[in-house]
Amino acid sequence: MTEKKAKSVNLSITNPRVFEVIKMVISILIAFAITFVILCLISKNPVNALVTILTGPLTKKRYIGSVIESFIPYAFSGLAAGVLFKSGAFNLGGEGIFIISGISVAAVACNALTTSHMLHPVLCILAAALTGCILMIIPSFLKAKFGTNEMVVSLMLNSIYSGVAMFITRKYLLTNTTSTIGTKDYLATAKIGYIYEPLRISPCLLLLIAATIIMYLVMFKSRLGYQIRLAGTNPKFAEYSGISAFKLAIVTAMIAGTLCGIGASCQLLTQTSFYQPDKSLVGIGFSGMLLSMLGRNNPIGIVVAAFLIKYLEQGTSVLYFVDRAIPSEIVAIVEGIVILLISSQYFLRGFREKKLLKEGLEKDAK
Amino acid sequence: MLSSIFGSLFTTRFLATVIRLSTPILFAAVASFIAASTGMVNIAIESIMTFGALAGILGSYLTGNAWAGLLIGLVVGILTALLIALFSMRLGASPILIGIALNTFADSLAIFFLYQIAGEKGTSASLPTKTLPVVNIPGIQNIPVLGQLLSGQYVLTYICWIVLILLFIMIYKTPLGMRMRACGLNANAARTAGINVEKLQIFSLVLSGMFAALGGMYLSLNYLRIFSKGMVAGQGWMGIAANGIANGNYGVLLLSALIFSAFRAVSIVFSSSTIFPVDLVAAIPYFAVFCFVTIASIIRYYRVKAGKVEEQ
Repeated sequence: MTEKKAKSVNLSITNPRVFEVIKMVISILIAFAITFVILCLISKNPVNALVTILTGPLTKKRYIGSVIESFIPYAFSGLAAGVLFKSGAFNLGGEGIFIISGISVAAVACNALTTSHMLHPVLCILAAALTGCILMIIPSFLKAKFGTNEMVVSLMLNSIYSGVAMFITRKYLLTNTTSTIGTKDYLATAKIGYIYEPLRISPCLLLLIAATIIMYLVMFKSRLGYQIRLAGTNPKFAEYSGISAFKLAIVTAMIAGTLCGIGASCQLLTQTSFYQPDKSLVGIGFSGMLLSMLGRNNPIGIVVAAFLIKYLEQGTSVLYFVDRAIPSEIVAIVEGIVILLISSQYFLRGFREKKLLKEGLEKDAK
Repeated sequence: MLSSIFGSLFTTRFLATVIRLSTPILFAAVASFIAASTGMVNIAIESIMTFGALAGILGSYLTGNAWAGLLIGLVVGILTALLIALFSMRLGASPILIGIALNTFADSLAIFFLYQIAGEKGTSASLPTKTLPVVNIPGIQNIPVLGQLLSGQYVLTYICWIVLILLFIMIYKTPLGMRMRACGLNANAARTAGINVEKLQIFSLVLSGMFAALGGMYLSLNYLRIFSKGMVAGQGWMGIAANGIANGNYGVLLLSALIFSAFRAVSIVFSSSTIFPVDLVAAIPYFAVFCFVTIASIIRYYRVKAGKVEEQ
C-alpha cells in the first residue's frame, strides 16, 4: 500500500520508469536536432521541410489512411522481433519468414478452396502463420541444441528462403502477363475489405490490436512471459531455477514465426492483388528488428513505434512532392540515432545518479 | 551439357574466379577475427563494408583520385568502428544490438548519401569515378597456370594477401599480438598483468573497421567499379561465419573463407546454364554457409560433450 503511494508521487528522474520516458524524449529531440542540421545542409527551406514531415500526413485523410494501413505488417514484424530479443535470442529470421509465408498466402489465395468471403482470408492467414511458426524454429533449435550462431544461420536462411520463394513462384504460380516475377491474381474471395474505407481501417487493424493485447498479457502477466524475460536478462539464473532454455527457445520462435506469418498475410491481402517475392514484403522483417529496439521490446511500445515511423515516412513522402532534395531515407537517420541513444544504458545515467545521491543525502539529513 | 558445366569447375579460370570472389570474404573474415581476438564482437561488418564501399566511390569521385577515395573509405571504416566502440564500451549498449541496428539501416543511410551526391538511389553509375587498377606482374604473367592465378588480379587482392600475412605475424609472432589474444582469453587476467585491455580492444575494433572497409572498397573501387544498392549481399556475414567456424584458428579461418568463395564461384558457373533453376542456384553459397556453420557447431557440441575440448 505504502509502496504504491510512493510510486504515484515520485515523478522525478529517480523513478526508473520516468527516467526511461525522459531518456526517450531527449533521444528523440537529439535525433530531430541532428536531422534538422542535415535538412539545413540539403534543403533551401529546412523549417518548412521539418514542419511538413511532422504535420504532412495529417493534411489529407488519404495520407493518414495510408499510414494506418501500411504500419500493420511492420508492427507484426516488430512484435515478432520483440519476443525473440526479449528472450535473449538474436534470431534475425523475420525477413525470410515474411517472404516465404507470402508464398503460402499466395498459394491459398489463388486457389478456390472455399467460396466464403469470410473463410478464405482466414485460411490464407492460417497457412501463413503455420509456415512461419514451423520455419522460424530452425535457427532457434540449432542455437538451443548445438550452440550454432543463430545470427549467421538465420541470415543465411533469409537468402535461401527468398531464393526458394522466387523458385516456387516461377515454377508453380507464375502469371504469363506481367514482365515482373509475380504470382497469379488472388481470387476475389481472398481479399480483405475495409471496415471504414476513407481511413483504410480493415479487420487487420483489429487483428493487430488483439495480437498486441495478447502479447502484452503473455509477456507481462503470464508465467511464460516471466520465463522469457528472465531468460533474456539472466539466462544462467533462469536455467538454475528450472526453466528449460530449449523449450523456451522453441516456444518463442513459434510465437514470433506465427506473428510474422499473420503480418505477411495482412500486407498481401489488403495492399496487393498478387505476390512478388522480390518486392511485396522485402524489408519488413528487418525493419521489425529496429522497431523492437525502438519500443524497448515492449509490445505496446513496438506498435506505437511502428505507427510513428510509418507516420514520419509518410511525412517525408508528402515532402518529396514539394522538395525533391530530401529522400524518404532521412527517416532511417532519425530512427538510427534514437536507437543508438536509447539502447545506451549509461546515456544520461549521470544525471539520475546525482539526483539519487542528493535525495539520499537529504533523507539522511532528516 | 551437364558434364561440360561440371568440367568447367576444374579449370584454371574457375580458380581465378574463386580468387577474385575470395577477397571481400577474406577481408570480412579477418575483420571478424581481429575483433574477436581481443574478445570484442563486431557483427556490423556488413554495414561497414557498405559504408566503406560508398565512401570509397564518393571519395574517388569528389577528389578525382581512386587512392584518395581508398583513404576516405578507410577513414569512414575507422569512424564506424569507433562509433561502435563508443556506444558499446563507454555508453553500455549491447554491441550485438548496435551491430544489428547498423546493419539494418546501412542501406538506407548509404542511399541517402548516394542520392545527395549522385541524384540516384540505386547505383553510382552516373558518377564518373576513377577506380583502382588491375596489376600484371611481369615475370609471373607468362607462367601457364600460376600466371593466370597470381598475376592480373585486382590491386586490392594483393593488398589483401599482404594484410593476411602481416596480420598472422602480428597476432602470433609479436608481443602486441600475444597481449591482444590474452585480452580475448581472459580480460581480467590480462588487466592484472598490466595490459591496457580497453586500449587494445579499441585498437582491434579499429583494425576490424579498416579491413571491413577494404572489403567493401574492393567491390566498389576495384571489382564492380560502381556502388550499387545491396551489393555486399551477405559477404560480411560469410566472414563472420568463417570466424565462427575457425573459433580462433587462423588457418581454418582462411580455409573457410576460401570454401565459401568457391561456392559463390560455383553459383556463378551454374547460373550460366539453363539446366538448374536460377533462383536456387543463387542461393547455393548461402546454403553452403548454413550447412558448414551448422555442421561445425554440431561437431563442437559433441566434442564438448565427450570432454575433448572445453566449453566456451
